[in-house]
Amino acid sequence: MAQGRKAPREAWGSRLGVILAVAGSAIGLGNFLRFPVQAANNGGGAFMIPYFISFLLLGLPLMWIEWTIGRFGGGFERSTAPGIFETVWQKNRFIKYFGVIGIFGPTVIFTYYTFVESWLLGYSVFALTGKYASCTDQTSMAAFLQGYQGLVQNEHFSSVSTAYLFFLIAFGLNILVVWIGLRGGIERVCKYGLLVLFIFAVVIMIRVLTLGSPDPAKPEWSINNGLGFLWNPQWNKLKEAKVWLAAAGQIFFTLSVGFGVILTYASYLRKRDDVALSGLTAATTNEVAEVILGGSIVIPAAFVFFGPHGTMEIAKGGAFDLGFVTMPLVLQQVAFGEIFAFLWFFLLFIAGVTSSISLALPAVVFLQDEFNLDRKTASILFAVVTFNLCQIVIFFNGQGSLAEMDFWGGTFCVVVFALIEVILFAWVFGMDKAWGELHSGSGIHIPRVYRFIIKYVTPIFLLLILGYWFVQEGWPTLLLEKTPTEKVPFVIGVRVLMVDLFAALAFLVWLAWRKRENREATK
Amino acid sequence: MTVTGWTFLAVSWSTILGLALFCFYRTLRKKS
Repeated sequence: MAQGRKAPREAWGSRLGVILAVAGSAIGLGNFLRFPVQAANNGGGAFMIPYFISFLLLGLPLMWIEWTIGRFGGGFERSTAPGIFETVWQKNRFIKYFGVIGIFGPTVIFTYYTFVESWLLGYSVFALTGKYASCTDQTSMAAFLQGYQGLVQNEHFSSVSTAYLFFLIAFGLNILVVWIGLRGGIERVCKYGLLVLFIFAVVIMIRVLTLGSPDPAKPEWSINNGLGFLWNPQWNKLKEAKVWLAAAGQIFFTLSVGFGVILTYASYLRKRDDVALSGLTAATTNEVAEVILGGSIVIPAAFVFFGPHGTMEIAKGGAFDLGFVTMPLVLQQVAFGEIFAFLWFFLLFIAGVTSSISLALPAVVFLQDEFNLDRKTASILFAVVTFNLCQIVIFFNGQGSLAEMDFWGGTFCVVVFALIEVILFAWVFGMDKAWGELHSGSGIHIPRVYRFIIKYVTPIFLLLILGYWFVQEGWPTLLLEKTPTEKVPFVIGVRVLMVDLFAALAFLVWLAWRKRENREATK
Repeated sequence: MTVTGWTFLAVSWSTILGLALFCFYRTLRKKS
């Protein structure tokens, strides 16, 4: 092991670099697939009212909290949640174990996210080679996807081997970027990656918005009405609690708050570096990608080829179907469709990579910080563990392993972690000290009403989301009520594995702290 | 699309774009 004298702490190359890295972490598949589905299913234009309210009351406060306590912890050379939480609440011996969630959650998400990301790489190649060109309707395109995932054997794929090859490339690419490091790897990939992503997305958006009415027999299936499908407000929907919670959930997940990755990114800032303006800039960059670009591609494109009823059914089918089944079919029907399909899948692949590298970082940096390993050794250790976990997702996807990991790692842990963060920031750290820390070196002055919002409104909002989620989905899922009987043993197996991973991380935290205490005692 | 739909789109787009441009302008102007 490469232990010994501690290497100099890494740093970001520029302010813009860290902002784009956080924006890259936030901009993912959800911006282009989940948002339009949520908006179309939850009131269209009226959805934007709870969406913007959630952005102001939940998204922005959590963004600022993570930037602020991340930079604060970094001042003590702590870059992951266990150490950062301890710097915020120094008198509490147990708070570091709550911080384990901030390593566990991203690691679990990384294991299935890289697999999904690799599908996008595969489809980018298939778009150019015409591999799915023979699929001309929803059923055959869905069968192509299932064959690729290894869920069924059909005329397109006899095994999961093609998907596995693309997984190896995507996984290797992620580890390589993390291995290279903060400035040369992550910062550079996010800078150029986001530039390419925005260019590709604008090109596709212009193509979609100039489709007009492709079928002369159905002039009402126009791009104008397609935009109306997404933006015409259905006021009655605002009376439904689930619409407000869907908007809050969308804001929460799109900004990548509650994952622990922004804490790690911000920990590499200097004490007088701005966090208030940088957090706002990263959040608004994400919103441009989501509302303007994400909202102008899939739903309007689906509408002009499948009409209002078809689009309604597609939207109900979920984000994956929209991205992997509907969009290739739509793009087959436009001139140079294979090029546009490549741009579509490759832009999603870039969005995936800039997110997944951020998910890998907390665990890698934890090994560096707490066990004094160098970046390369820590990256290899992380790769070995997550590569093994990925096999479960790849080979037991049909048994519900991906969905189970997403539920606990990507939903439950995220909301709980955000709740801990806001309580630590506003109630333990104290609002006066927290407000001063947030404005240290700040490029803007945040309205004082946010003192009240952060202290009372955001935690209550989070408790409501957690309570609603637990009653609606958490409890039935915990009791396996929705799981088919034949999948129960696999789902329990995945849960045991996740508990083992959490316990292993908690043990590493205990070990690291004992080593640290021994080191300090011998000084 | 209805007039209300266009209004929602225009207000949403201009708010987000305006805020993003303001943030980038301030960020790039402010020396670290």
